[in-house]
Amino acid sequence: MTADLIVDPQIRFWVFLPIVIITFLVGILRHYVSMLLSSQKKVEVQQLADSQLILRARALRENCGYIPKNSFLIRRQAFNKEDGYLMQKRPPVTQNMMTDPSMMTDMLKGNLTNVLPMIIIGGWINWMFSGFITTKVPFPLTLRFKSMLQRGIELSHLDASWVSSASWYFLNVFGLRSIYTLVLGENNAADQSRQMQEQMQMTGAASVMPADPKVPFKAEWEGLEIVEHQWKLADIEKEMLQE
Amino acid sequence: MSNKTKNEPVIAYSELAIRNNLSIVEYCRTSLAAVSGCTAGVLGLTGSYGAIFFILAVTSFWLMLLCKAGVDSWKKFFISRKSLLLNGLFGHFFTYILCWTFIYGMVHVY
Repeated sequence: MTADLIVDPQIRFWVFLPIVIITFLVGILRHYVSMLLSSQKKVEVQQLADSQLILRARALRENCGYIPKNSFLIRRQAFNKEDGYLMQKRPPVTQNMMTDPSMMTDMLKGNLTNVLPMIIIGGWINWMFSGFITTKVPFPLTLRFKSMLQRGIELSHLDASWVSSASWYFLNVFGLRSIYTLVLGENNAADQSRQMQEQMQMTGAASVMPADPKVPFKAEWEGLEIVEHQWKLADIEKEMLQE
Repeated sequence: MSNKTKNEPVIAYSELAIRNNLSIVEYCRTSLAAVSGCTAGVLGLTGSYGAIFFILAVTSFWLMLLCKAGVDSWKKFFISRKSLLLNGLFGHFFTYILCWTFIYGMVHVY
Protein backbone atom coordinates (compact mmCIF):
# COMPACT_ATOMS: atom_id res chain seq x y z
CA MET A 1 0.00 0.00 0.00
CA THR A 2 1.20 3.46 -0.71
CA ALA A 3 1.45 4.89 2.74
CA ASP A 4 2.17 8.57 2.98
CA LEU A 5 3.19 8.05 6.54
CA ILE A 6 5.41 5.37 7.95
CA VAL A 7 4.37 4.11 11.34
CA ASP A 8 6.70 2.29 13.67
CA PRO A 9 5.83 -1.44 13.67
CA GLN A 10 6.40 -1.48 17.43
CA ILE A 11 3.18 0.50 17.78
CA ARG A 12 1.29 -2.40 16.33
CA PHE A 13 2.30 -4.79 19.09
CA TRP A 14 2.48 -2.38 22.00
CA VAL A 15 -0.45 -0.05 21.35
CA PHE A 16 -2.78 -1.22 18.63
CA LEU A 17 -3.20 -4.85 19.66
CA PRO A 18 -3.26 -4.26 23.44
CA ILE A 19 -6.14 -1.82 23.13
CA VAL A 20 -8.28 -4.38 21.34
CA ILE A 21 -7.42 -7.11 23.81
CA ILE A 22 -7.96 -4.88 26.86
CA THR A 23 -11.34 -3.66 25.64
CA PHE A 24 -12.47 -7.16 24.87
CA LEU A 25 -11.32 -8.70 28.12
CA VAL A 26 -12.74 -5.86 30.18
CA GLY A 27 -16.11 -6.52 28.57
CA ILE A 28 -15.91 -10.20 29.47
CA LEU A 29 -14.84 -9.35 33.00
CA ARG A 30 -17.69 -6.91 33.35
CA HIS A 31 -20.13 -9.61 32.33
CA TYR A 32 -18.96 -12.00 35.01
CA VAL A 33 -18.65 -9.37 37.72
CA SER A 34 -22.17 -8.16 37.15
CA MET A 35 -23.33 -11.78 37.24
CA LEU A 36 -21.58 -12.11 40.56
CA LEU A 37 -23.12 -8.96 41.98
CA SER A 38 -26.60 -9.28 40.62
CA SER A 39 -29.23 -10.01 43.19
CA GLN A 40 -32.49 -11.75 42.74
CA LYS A 41 -35.22 -9.19 42.66
CA LYS A 42 -37.97 -9.73 45.18
CA VAL A 43 -41.34 -9.71 43.49
CA GLU A 44 -44.65 -9.43 45.21
CA VAL A 45 -46.98 -12.35 44.59
CA GLN A 46 -49.72 -9.98 43.56
CA GLN A 47 -47.54 -8.27 40.98
CA LEU A 48 -46.41 -11.54 39.50
CA ALA A 49 -49.98 -12.76 39.27
CA ASP A 50 -50.97 -9.56 37.51
CA SER A 51 -48.23 -9.78 34.93
CA GLN A 52 -49.01 -13.43 34.27
CA LEU A 53 -52.63 -12.47 33.86
CA ILE A 54 -51.72 -9.97 31.21
CA LEU A 55 -49.58 -12.55 29.45
CA ARG A 56 -52.49 -14.96 29.41
CA ALA A 57 -54.81 -12.35 27.98
CA ARG A 58 -52.27 -11.54 25.31
CA ALA A 59 -51.82 -15.19 24.40
CA LEU A 60 -55.55 -15.50 24.00
CA ARG A 61 -55.71 -12.40 21.85
CA GLU A 62 -52.89 -13.47 19.54
CA ASN A 63 -53.82 -17.10 19.13
CA CYS A 64 -57.57 -16.88 19.14
CA GLY A 65 -57.72 -18.28 15.63
CA TYR A 66 -56.70 -21.73 16.79
CA ILE A 67 -59.57 -22.37 19.15
CA PRO A 68 -63.22 -22.63 18.19
CA LYS A 69 -65.28 -19.51 18.39
CA ASN A 70 -67.28 -20.79 21.31
CA SER A 71 -64.18 -21.45 23.40
CA PHE A 72 -62.81 -18.07 22.52
CA LEU A 73 -65.96 -16.33 23.61
CA ILE A 74 -66.01 -18.21 26.91
CA ARG A 75 -62.43 -17.24 27.62
CA ARG A 76 -62.97 -13.65 26.64
CA GLN A 77 -65.97 -13.52 28.86
CA ALA A 78 -63.89 -14.74 31.77
CA PHE A 79 -61.48 -11.90 31.21
CA ASN A 80 -63.76 -9.08 30.28
CA LYS A 81 -67.06 -9.50 32.06
CA GLU A 82 -68.17 -7.11 34.75
CA ASP A 83 -66.16 -8.78 37.53
CA GLY A 84 -63.79 -10.68 35.22
CA TYR A 85 -60.05 -10.98 35.64
CA LEU A 86 -59.23 -7.79 33.82
CA MET A 87 -61.76 -5.72 35.68
CA GLN A 88 -60.36 -6.41 39.12
CA LYS A 89 -59.63 -3.44 41.28
CA ARG A 90 -56.18 -3.03 42.69
CA PRO A 91 -55.16 -0.67 45.44
CA PRO A 92 -52.91 1.98 43.93
CA VAL A 93 -49.30 1.25 44.67
CA THR A 94 -47.14 4.23 45.34
CA GLN A 95 -43.65 3.05 45.95
CA ASN A 96 -40.96 5.55 46.41
CA MET A 97 -37.82 4.05 44.99
CA MET A 98 -35.51 6.30 46.93
CA THR A 99 -36.77 4.97 50.22
CA ASP A 100 -36.47 1.39 49.07
CA PRO A 101 -33.02 0.25 50.17
CA SER A 102 -32.78 -2.68 47.78
CA MET A 103 -33.33 -0.33 44.86
CA MET A 104 -30.52 1.85 46.09
CA THR A 105 -28.07 -1.01 46.33
CA ASP A 106 -29.04 -2.12 42.85
CA MET A 107 -28.27 1.31 41.51
CA LEU A 108 -24.99 1.35 43.34
CA LYS A 109 -24.04 -2.00 41.88
CA GLY A 110 -24.98 -0.75 38.45
CA ASN A 111 -22.69 2.20 38.91
CA LEU A 112 -19.97 -0.03 40.22
CA THR A 113 -19.97 -2.28 37.18
CA ASN A 114 -20.64 0.33 34.54
CA VAL A 115 -19.48 3.80 35.26
CA LEU A 116 -16.44 3.06 37.34
CA PRO A 117 -14.64 0.76 34.86
CA MET A 118 -15.58 3.12 32.08
CA ILE A 119 -13.87 6.00 33.81
CA ILE A 120 -10.91 4.02 35.06
CA ILE A 121 -10.14 2.03 31.93
CA GLY A 122 -10.88 4.95 29.63
CA GLY A 123 -8.70 7.26 31.66
CA TRP A 124 -5.95 4.69 31.92
CA ILE A 125 -5.93 4.06 28.19
CA ASN A 126 -5.90 7.76 27.52
CA TRP A 127 -2.97 8.20 29.84
CA MET A 128 -1.02 5.10 28.89
CA PHE A 129 -1.42 5.20 25.14
CA SER A 130 -1.85 8.89 24.55
CA GLY A 131 -0.79 10.51 21.35
CA PHE A 132 -0.17 7.49 19.14
CA ILE A 133 -1.36 7.16 15.61
CA THR A 134 -2.51 3.59 15.62
CA THR A 135 -4.09 2.73 12.34
CA LYS A 136 -5.62 3.89 9.14
CA VAL A 137 -9.15 3.11 8.13
CA PRO A 138 -9.17 1.50 4.70
CA PHE A 139 -11.67 3.94 3.25
CA PRO A 140 -11.54 7.66 2.61
CA LEU A 141 -13.31 9.92 5.05
CA THR A 142 -14.22 13.56 4.98
CA LEU A 143 -12.72 16.17 7.26
CA ARG A 144 -15.69 16.01 9.56
CA PHE A 145 -14.56 12.71 10.97
CA LYS A 146 -11.22 14.20 11.97
CA SER A 147 -12.36 15.28 15.40
CA MET A 148 -14.00 11.93 15.96
CA LEU A 149 -11.15 9.72 14.84
CA GLN A 150 -8.16 11.79 15.85
CA ARG A 151 -8.86 12.62 19.43
CA GLY A 152 -5.64 13.39 21.20
CA ILE A 153 -3.58 14.45 18.21
CA GLU A 154 -4.27 17.88 16.82
CA LEU A 155 -2.51 17.86 13.49
CA SER A 156 -4.33 19.86 10.90
CA HIS A 157 -2.55 18.40 7.90
CA LEU A 158 -3.00 14.77 8.78
CA ASP A 159 -5.31 12.83 6.49
CA ALA A 160 -8.69 12.15 8.07
CA SER A 161 -8.44 8.41 7.73
CA TRP A 162 -5.72 8.01 10.34
CA VAL A 163 -7.00 6.93 13.75
CA SER A 164 -5.52 7.91 17.07
CA SER A 165 -5.23 5.55 20.01
CA ALA A 166 -7.97 7.11 22.14
CA SER A 167 -10.41 7.02 19.25
CA TRP A 168 -9.45 3.46 18.47
CA TYR A 169 -10.41 2.57 22.01
CA PHE A 170 -13.83 4.16 21.63
CA LEU A 171 -14.37 2.49 18.29
CA ASN A 172 -13.70 -0.80 20.01
CA VAL A 173 -16.02 -0.06 22.90
CA PHE A 174 -18.91 0.50 20.56
CA GLY A 175 -17.98 -1.97 17.89
CA LEU A 176 -17.40 -5.08 19.96
CA ARG A 177 -21.06 -5.30 20.91
CA SER A 178 -22.01 -7.98 18.44
CA ILE A 179 -18.85 -9.92 19.15
CA TYR A 180 -19.90 -10.09 22.80
CA THR A 181 -23.26 -11.41 21.72
CA LEU A 182 -21.41 -14.09 19.81
CA VAL A 183 -19.15 -15.02 22.70
CA LEU A 184 -21.39 -14.62 25.72
CA GLY A 185 -24.84 -15.17 24.28
CA GLU A 186 -27.81 -12.85 24.26
CA ASN A 187 -28.52 -10.43 27.08
CA ASN A 188 -24.97 -10.26 28.30
CA ALA A 189 -23.80 -7.52 30.59
CA ALA A 190 -20.59 -6.82 28.74
CA ASP A 191 -21.96 -4.20 26.45
CA GLN A 192 -21.20 -0.77 27.73
CA SER A 193 -23.34 1.31 25.46
CA ARG A 194 -26.46 -0.68 26.08
CA GLN A 195 -25.86 -0.49 29.80
CA MET A 196 -25.55 3.24 29.57
CA GLN A 197 -28.92 3.45 27.89
CA GLU A 198 -30.39 1.38 30.67
CA GLN A 199 -28.83 3.69 33.16
CA MET A 200 -30.67 6.56 31.54
CA GLN A 201 -33.93 4.73 31.84
CA MET A 202 -33.33 3.83 35.45
CA THR A 203 -35.46 6.79 36.47
CA GLY A 204 -38.51 4.84 35.42
CA ALA A 205 -37.29 1.81 37.32
CA ALA A 206 -39.14 -1.32 38.35
CA SER A 207 -39.88 -1.86 34.69
CA VAL A 208 -40.54 -5.52 35.40
CA MET A 209 -44.06 -4.59 36.31
CA PRO A 210 -45.49 -1.12 36.26
CA ALA A 211 -46.59 -0.01 39.67
CA ASP A 212 -50.17 0.49 38.68
CA PRO A 213 -51.66 -2.55 36.91
CA LYS A 214 -54.79 -0.66 36.03
CA VAL A 215 -53.36 0.83 32.84
CA PRO A 216 -52.14 -2.40 31.18
CA PHE A 217 -55.31 -4.11 32.34
CA LYS A 218 -57.34 -1.50 30.57
CA ALA A 219 -55.27 -1.77 27.39
CA GLU A 220 -55.53 -5.54 27.37
CA TRP A 221 -59.25 -5.32 28.00
CA GLU A 222 -59.67 -3.07 25.01
CA GLY A 223 -57.53 -5.33 22.85
CA LEU A 224 -59.65 -8.32 23.73
CA GLU A 225 -62.84 -6.42 23.04
CA ILE A 226 -61.67 -5.34 19.61
CA VAL A 227 -60.17 -8.60 18.41
CA GLU A 228 -62.20 -10.40 15.80
CA HIS A 229 -62.34 -14.14 15.97
CA GLN A 230 -61.24 -15.81 12.78
CA TRP A 231 -61.16 -19.56 12.63
CA LYS A 232 -57.83 -20.49 11.09
CA LEU A 233 -58.13 -24.24 11.04
CA ALA A 234 -61.08 -24.59 8.70
CA ASP A 235 -59.28 -26.87 6.26
CA ILE A 236 -57.23 -28.70 8.81
CA GLU A 237 -58.68 -32.14 8.15
CA LYS A 238 -58.04 -31.89 4.45
CA GLU A 239 -54.53 -30.61 4.94
CA MET A 240 -53.56 -33.25 7.43
CA LEU A 241 -54.91 -36.04 5.24
CA GLN A 242 -53.00 -34.70 2.26
CA GLU A 243 -49.77 -34.88 4.11
CA MET B 1 -59.78 -7.00 4.50
CA SER B 2 -61.26 -10.02 6.19
CA ASN B 3 -62.50 -11.24 2.84
CA LYS B 4 -59.07 -11.03 1.38
CA THR B 5 -57.45 -13.04 4.09
CA LYS B 6 -60.17 -15.62 4.05
CA ASN B 7 -59.39 -16.69 0.51
CA GLU B 8 -55.68 -17.13 1.09
CA PRO B 9 -54.51 -20.27 2.78
CA VAL B 10 -53.54 -19.42 6.33
CA ILE B 11 -50.09 -20.49 7.43
CA ALA B 12 -49.72 -21.07 11.12
CA TYR B 13 -46.35 -20.22 12.61
CA SER B 14 -45.00 -21.22 15.94
CA GLU B 15 -43.85 -17.99 17.51
CA LEU B 16 -41.14 -19.62 19.59
CA ALA B 17 -39.65 -21.62 16.74
CA ILE B 18 -39.59 -18.61 14.46
CA ARG B 19 -37.81 -16.57 17.08
CA ASN B 20 -35.32 -19.35 17.62
CA ASN B 21 -34.63 -19.54 13.89
CA LEU B 22 -34.11 -15.81 13.68
CA SER B 23 -31.70 -15.73 16.58
CA ILE B 24 -29.65 -18.54 15.04
CA VAL B 25 -29.54 -16.66 11.76
CA GLU B 26 -28.48 -13.59 13.71
CA TYR B 27 -25.51 -15.47 15.15
CA CYS B 28 -24.55 -16.69 11.71
CA ARG B 29 -24.74 -13.21 10.29
CA THR B 30 -22.61 -11.72 13.04
CA SER B 31 -19.98 -14.38 12.44
CA LEU B 32 -20.24 -13.73 8.75
CA ALA B 33 -19.69 -10.00 9.28
CA ALA B 34 -16.64 -10.64 11.45
CA VAL B 35 -15.12 -13.24 9.16
CA SER B 36 -15.75 -11.30 5.98
CA GLY B 37 -14.31 -8.20 7.66
CA CYS B 38 -11.14 -10.11 8.45
CA THR B 39 -10.99 -11.42 4.89
CA ALA B 40 -11.35 -7.94 3.48
CA GLY B 41 -8.62 -6.76 5.79
CA VAL B 42 -6.22 -9.51 4.79
CA LEU B 43 -6.93 -8.93 1.13
CA GLY B 44 -6.22 -5.26 1.66
CA LEU B 45 -9.39 -3.97 0.08
CA THR B 46 -9.82 -0.23 0.33
CA GLY B 47 -12.61 2.21 -0.23
CA SER B 48 -15.67 1.10 -2.10
CA TYR B 49 -14.20 -2.34 -2.84
CA GLY B 50 -14.69 -3.16 0.81
CA ALA B 51 -18.31 -2.09 0.74
CA ILE B 52 -18.91 -4.10 -2.40
CA PHE B 53 -17.27 -7.09 -0.77
CA PHE B 54 -19.60 -6.75 2.22
CA ILE B 55 -22.68 -6.58 0.03
CA LEU B 56 -21.42 -9.59 -1.90
CA ALA B 57 -20.82 -11.56 1.28
CA VAL B 58 -24.20 -10.76 2.78
CA THR B 59 -26.06 -11.55 -0.40
CA SER B 60 -24.24 -14.81 -0.96
CA PHE B 61 -24.92 -15.79 2.65
CA TRP B 62 -28.58 -15.01 2.10
CA LEU B 63 -28.67 -17.16 -1.02
CA MET B 64 -26.90 -20.00 0.75
CA LEU B 65 -29.36 -19.77 3.59
CA LEU B 66 -32.28 -19.96 1.21
CA CYS B 67 -30.70 -22.94 -0.50
CA LYS B 68 -30.23 -24.65 2.85
CA ALA B 69 -33.79 -23.96 3.89
CA GLY B 70 -34.96 -25.13 0.50
CA VAL B 71 -35.87 -22.91 -2.40
CA ASP B 72 -39.54 -23.81 -2.07
CA SER B 73 -39.78 -24.67 1.58
CA TRP B 74 -38.15 -21.61 3.17
CA LYS B 75 -41.61 -20.40 4.04
CA LYS B 76 -41.76 -23.15 6.63
CA PHE B 77 -38.91 -21.62 8.61
CA PHE B 78 -39.07 -17.88 8.05
CA ILE B 79 -41.90 -15.47 7.61
CA SER B 80 -40.25 -13.03 5.28
CA ARG B 81 -37.38 -13.51 2.88
CA LYS B 82 -36.62 -9.84 2.66
CA SER B 83 -36.25 -9.23 6.37
CA LEU B 84 -33.81 -12.13 6.43
CA LEU B 85 -31.56 -10.10 4.17
CA LEU B 86 -32.10 -6.65 5.59
CA ASN B 87 -32.59 -7.03 9.35
CA GLY B 88 -29.88 -5.36 11.36
CA LEU B 89 -27.74 -4.69 8.33
CA PHE B 90 -26.23 -1.54 9.83
CA GLY B 91 -25.11 -3.27 13.00
CA HIS B 92 -23.43 -5.96 10.96
CA PHE B 93 -21.83 -3.39 8.76
CA PHE B 94 -20.33 -1.80 11.84
CA THR B 95 -18.90 -5.12 12.97
CA TYR B 96 -17.56 -5.62 9.47
CA ILE B 97 -15.89 -2.22 9.47
CA LEU B 98 -14.29 -2.86 12.83
CA CYS B 99 -12.81 -6.20 11.78
CA TRP B 100 -11.81 -4.81 8.44
CA THR B 101 -10.03 -1.84 10.01
CA PHE B 102 -8.39 -4.03 12.62
CA ILE B 103 -6.95 -6.61 10.25
CA TYR B 104 -6.10 -4.04 7.62
CA GLY B 105 -4.20 -2.10 10.26
CA MET B 106 -2.40 -5.21 11.42
CA VAL B 107 -1.38 -6.34 7.96
CA HIS B 108 -1.07 -3.38 5.65
CA VAL B 109 -0.48 -0.13 7.50
CA TYR B 110 2.81 -0.77 9.23
